[in-house]
Amino acid sequence: MKRIFKQSKKIFKLIGKGNRSVVYLLGIIIVAIVIMSFLDPNFFTVRNLFNILNQQATLGIATMGVAIAMIAGCIDLTIGNLLASTAAIAALLLVAGVSEIWVILLTCIAGLVAGTLNGVIVIKTRINTFIATLGLMSVYQGVALIIPDGNNIYLKGRFANFGTYRIAGIIPIPIIYFIVITIIVYLVMRFTKFGRRLYSIGGSAEAAYLAGINLDLNKIIAYAISGLLASFASLIVISRIGQSQPAMGSAYPLEAIAATVIGGASLSGGKGTIPGIFLGVILLGLIRNSLNILHVPSFYQYVMLGVVIIVAVTLSNIEITKKL
Amino acid sequence: MFVQSKILLGVKGCSKSFPGVKALNRVDFDLYEREVHCVVGENGAGKSTFIKVLSGALQPDEGMIKIAGREYLNLNPALAHQLGIQTIYQEVSLAPDMTVAENIFIGNWPINRFGFVDYAKLIRESKKLMDSLKIDLDVEALVSTLNVPQKQSVQIAKAMAREAKIFILDEPTASYGTNEISNLLRLVKHCAENGVGVIYISHHLEEIFDIHDRITVLKDGNKVATHGKNEVSDKKIISEMVGRDMSKFYTRERVKIDYSKEIEFKNFSNGDTVKDVSFKVYKGEIVGFSGMVGSGRTELVRLIFGADSRVSGNVIIEGKKVNINNPKQAIKAGLALLTEDRQKYGLILEHSVEWNISSVHLSNSKGPFINEQKEAQDVHHYVDILNIITPSIKQIVKNLSGGNQQKVVLAKWLYANADVVIFDEPTRGIDIGTKEEIYKFMVQLAKKGKYIVMISSDMQEPIAMCDRVIVMRQGRIVGELNREQLTEESILAYSIGGTI
Repeated sequence: MKRIFKQSKKIFKLIGKGNRSVVYLLGIIIVAIVIMSFLDPNFFTVRNLFNILNQQATLGIATMGVAIAMIAGCIDLTIGNLLASTAAIAALLLVAGVSEIWVILLTCIAGLVAGTLNGVIVIKTRINTFIATLGLMSVYQGVALIIPDGNNIYLKGRFANFGTYRIAGIIPIPIIYFIVITIIVYLVMRFTKFGRRLYSIGGSAEAAYLAGINLDLNKIIAYAISGLLASFASLIVISRIGQSQPAMGSAYPLEAIAATVIGGASLSGGKGTIPGIFLGVILLGLIRNSLNILHVPSFYQYVMLGVVIIVAVTLSNIEITKKL
Repeated sequence: MFVQSKILLGVKGCSKSFPGVKALNRVDFDLYEREVHCVVGENGAGKSTFIKVLSGALQPDEGMIKIAGREYLNLNPALAHQLGIQTIYQEVSLAPDMTVAENIFIGNWPINRFGFVDYAKLIRESKKLMDSLKIDLDVEALVSTLNVPQKQSVQIAKAMAREAKIFILDEPTASYGTNEISNLLRLVKHCAENGVGVIYISHHLEEIFDIHDRITVLKDGNKVATHGKNEVSDKKIISEMVGRDMSKFYTRERVKIDYSKEIEFKNFSNGDTVKDVSFKVYKGEIVGFSGMVGSGRTELVRLIFGADSRVSGNVIIEGKKVNINNPKQAIKAGLALLTEDRQKYGLILEHSVEWNISSVHLSNSKGPFINEQKEAQDVHHYVDILNIITPSIKQIVKNLSGGNQQKVVLAKWLYANADVVIFDEPTRGIDIGTKEEIYKFMVQLAKKGKYIVMISSDMQEPIAMCDRVIVMRQGRIVGELNREQLTEESILAYSIGGTI
């Protein structure tokens, strides 16, 4: 036991302070998996683990955008309703017979444009980003209803492969999208100057400004990426359920922010690693899946998920206040 | 007129130490009823500490404070309040979204028999008070619509409404125009005539000579002397404020200045705290900016650096006009600014030494990617040459000492390879060893042909370090001193508006 402790201490040092939340999360996830495996033999199966990843893929992709913005100190609450809006656009285009590749492209452009607009509005009005995107959230809720005139749009079998294809008949394709996007975002945040600038802005906007960083431009780009990723996620969602619905994605903002904070980011910015945030998304999925397997009614699941989020954020706050 | 009457406040043998400095050393002080007692001293003489002790914000290490016949070992803010001590700071502590009348009687509003605030009475009482103080203000105006001098007069009215016995005014006129100053002085005198004792702290000698009944001079935490009305000249006061031992101070190596190359800063104004400031710096020269705290020096360098918006101002570097509208352009033009508040503006405390040092360089060099290996190599290089003491370059800057934090800031700008380095209070809060290291680096930079500007509120620092010192007062340059003319007296005389 002592040796294990010593070893883990060594590993801790090796990983460094900044990545500790990743280690904690990994620990929690492993413990959760072990417990669940004992409780239910169906849990620890390839099928179920893929299932969890697959279920989290769309949220995970959108979360990466929210994370980028949050690292720069900006909250983005628009992703859910923005996703429903671009879903409607994609569905309408598909029904109109536009080819799949064009639908993908146009939908992503729509997301990028909407995200850029969000950024410009939020940054140039200088309103607190939480409040500003709360307002925009309502705007997109309207847009998501206006575009399809309040209706669900059924794809009738079109575009099914994009979100339901399984590689070698086993690995669901959304998992691949999720992992590839996570890796790209990780590389951008870690190895590009743009990524470093976002960390600086979130760490201290004043200091970043005096170090010659263009605050507005970089924040707007962060929102643009967030919009782009939300629209990409919308493509997967409609492909999977075969329709677009004006109300879909409404839980995304809360869950994405929760996953980001659980993953080690701070609401005020400047902190958090992409691997940590990835694990945050996985942990949320794990909890939901476990509750399902244990047959906890969905009404109670909301309550429990909320409790988990509050506990996780409180724990991360305790760490911060301790340091002060 | 003031005649020696009842003692309101007596301080005996009051001392207060902070790590490394004795901010107050056995200070004796008293204040009579109906008296304006001015306190003067250069930056760091202990004035602020003294006020904080009297207002209960700090507890003295030793000594006694006697108020209304009772002796106290220390005060706390609530007790000081209760004893009738009102401190009026420059940063106004009023509720901005309430009216003048509501603020004057805040927490103590007159109520009617139903327990609601009696507005008619509130306004009546406020008007009566403002009239008696001869303050010309609409009592129903929102405080947020007032300017600083007006807010301060509201604070004074509020203090009078509470029947405070002792007013402490700390640098009340720092951002005032001449007319506003005379209004405030009149108001303060009026309060004193009505039985209040006033402790008045100011950097401006004219004000002090206008208003004082007595003047106490502080120096390095010691009381030098207390003078009665018209007993003393401004020259004498200045000579009492200065006089530190220079022999122990750092002696720098002299560097040959290249007078053929210069940077010209022309007509910098922000329409408020900086007024038409022009000066030149020559290649290899270290130019100091002296003056009292609040004289507009920090605002000036932020203006030069493009951090705040300006009304006018140009930079001409070696004959070429450069356009600087934001820090990014300033950095591109070769400027560096080491800010006064390094924790807030100079560093990202939660980030590592490495990230902080490379931030300016990375952000302003070409290409989208970071070469982490080269970054670490370069950072190690600067950590070595500046002798930054840190367990690793991954260490969070917050965990470093003040001196090492300042070195990280310096490393950041060295890495950015700036030509014009502006230091704003570079050695504030830094231990002596690190101070000397920073001085050494400044001289090295001068040797390399950089242009160096240093703001310092210390008197000895510019005398030891600078080739030339420019003195600012109330947002303007009021004097320029070359090496031969540099003395504490000459700097101070310009800073507080006395005669040399």
